[in-house]
Amino acid sequence: MTAVTAPRRRKLRQPGTRIVVWLGLAVILLWTLAPITTMVFTSFKPATEIFTIPPTLLPDEWTLDNYVTVFTASSMPEALRNSIVVGLIVALLTLTLGTSAGYALARLRFRGARSISLFILLGQMIPLTVLLLALFQMITAIGFHDTVLGVAFAHLVITLPLVTWMIRNQIVAIPYELEEAAMIDGCSRMDAVLYAVLPVAGPGLAAAGMFAFLQSWHEFVLASVLTRSGQSRTAPIALTEFSSEFDVDWGATMAASVVLTVPLVIAFVALQRYLVNGLTGGAVKG
Amino acid sequence: MARTFVVERRAYALTGPTLVAMALLTVVPIVVVISRAASAEGRAIAGSLLGSSQFHQILGRTGIWTVVSVVGAMVIGFAAALILQSGHVRWPGLWRGILMVPWIIPGVVGATIWKWGYSSTYGLLNHALVSLGLIDQPVQWLSNPEIVLYALAAVQVWSTAPFVMLLLGAALTSIPGERYEAARLDGAHAVGLFRHITLPAVNATAAIATLMLVTFALNAFTIIWVSTAGGPVGASTILPVELYRAFQNGDDTTVAVIACVQLLISAVFALIYVRSIKAGDE
Repeated sequence: MTAVTAPRRRKLRQPGTRIVVWLGLAVILLWTLAPITTMVFTSFKPATEIFTIPPTLLPDEWTLDNYVTVFTASSMPEALRNSIVVGLIVALLTLTLGTSAGYALARLRFRGARSISLFILLGQMIPLTVLLLALFQMITAIGFHDTVLGVAFAHLVITLPLVTWMIRNQIVAIPYELEEAAMIDGCSRMDAVLYAVLPVAGPGLAAAGMFAFLQSWHEFVLASVLTRSGQSRTAPIALTEFSSEFDVDWGATMAASVVLTVPLVIAFVALQRYLVNGLTGGAVKG
Repeated sequence: MARTFVVERRAYALTGPTLVAMALLTVVPIVVVISRAASAEGRAIAGSLLGSSQFHQILGRTGIWTVVSVVGAMVIGFAAALILQSGHVRWPGLWRGILMVPWIIPGVVGATIWKWGYSSTYGLLNHALVSLGLIDQPVQWLSNPEIVLYALAAVQVWSTAPFVMLLLGAALTSIPGERYEAARLDGAHAVGLFRHITLPAVNATAAIATLMLVTFALNAFTIIWVSTAGGPVGASTILPVELYRAFQNGDDTTVAVIACVQLLISAVFALIYVRSIKAGDE
């Protein structure tokens, strides 16, 4: 045992390596955070300060004017509402479809299971622009163009593959004995799943639903062609329209960017563990 | 036999809705696009488009864009994962959380804030580089056709490197510490440990991460469209951007032809993906 601990102690005592590692971390942090801090600080600058030469990072005078503009004098509030509605529909549909398919792929042995998983997984490799024209035509044909439902339906193509796979992996990780025990106690299989499996999978399912919501919240290219007016335009699209709306009001643009980002960061911090497990599980185990 | 039949029926009932949805959203659009591109009009357009030097330039740019974004994200993401895993850094969880932010930020937001940072007169990047004496005068990051593609690839790297860090970080965690200790006892040095223990252990994950990055890069649209819309003079136009422009112009047949080219390229990588999953099953 002493022989094993000795090298570990030596590793901690290498000041050279430590410095290189911390320096590397500093460089990567600078690279990561520079654009983000610029966004945050610019959003608090008054209009007069934004176009100063030389440019500064911190505002001289802090103001909430840009946020007031975003929430009272722009299309952002409506767009945020649309994004939330679309995201909720997407999360609900994805969870419903993904849980039933994910359960079958995890628990039932049946012919074609492998081909079915492959078919679902391969969906994520198709470029969205390939689907753009036909999805636009299909959704217009059923009268859903420029509606939140049309956007939500299209977003399923992004969320279903990964979320179904995340759920499948979560159910695989739950011991089958749990279900068996419930069935021996007289539950039907349906009851066993509802009362024994789903509560255990609950947090993971919530994370999967959140993940679907986030992906929908991000999505740009499909939403940009499937929406036309304020009644369905989502937040990412509204952000790009800021420039013409305000004659490139960079302060308001940055404030709106912060508004779009903050909920994602909060959700990520809350669900990090589940998301990381779900994603790496899907990618590493294939 | 009867029991298997019931299970199969139940399995198809449970997977059916997802399969129908995915078929409607992927198979039907692909069939529509292929049949449109294969029509007489489509073949005529394909003939003139695929042979044009402009299209070859777009393909070349798509290649450069993909290679630069993938290599950049792999290098930075792997470096970040190694640093956090090295044991020399305190609070690795905190740093990991912070480093994930560019990946969590919506593409539109990432593109918008970088566009502001790249601004030649008001941007902090030029200001910092000039102040440090690294450049004499501001670089026209987004309006110089020679630079723009690389400047935008940097944004793509910025937003996808955390994904690599996440995947490779998970792979690094799964290496048992005893393996390093045993090798160290045998006299192995840092470089040897890295080459003979770290690299082989993350190989499979790195391959999958690369594949995913290639997919992200080939499908990339938002960052370029929001920053430059493919300009100046088409210098940042890659395949998805060109397709979108044709869509906006109402050239549906051109859209279908470009979509088929994108499909062919994706099919190659999808095949590699399928084979890698098969290999992982054994």
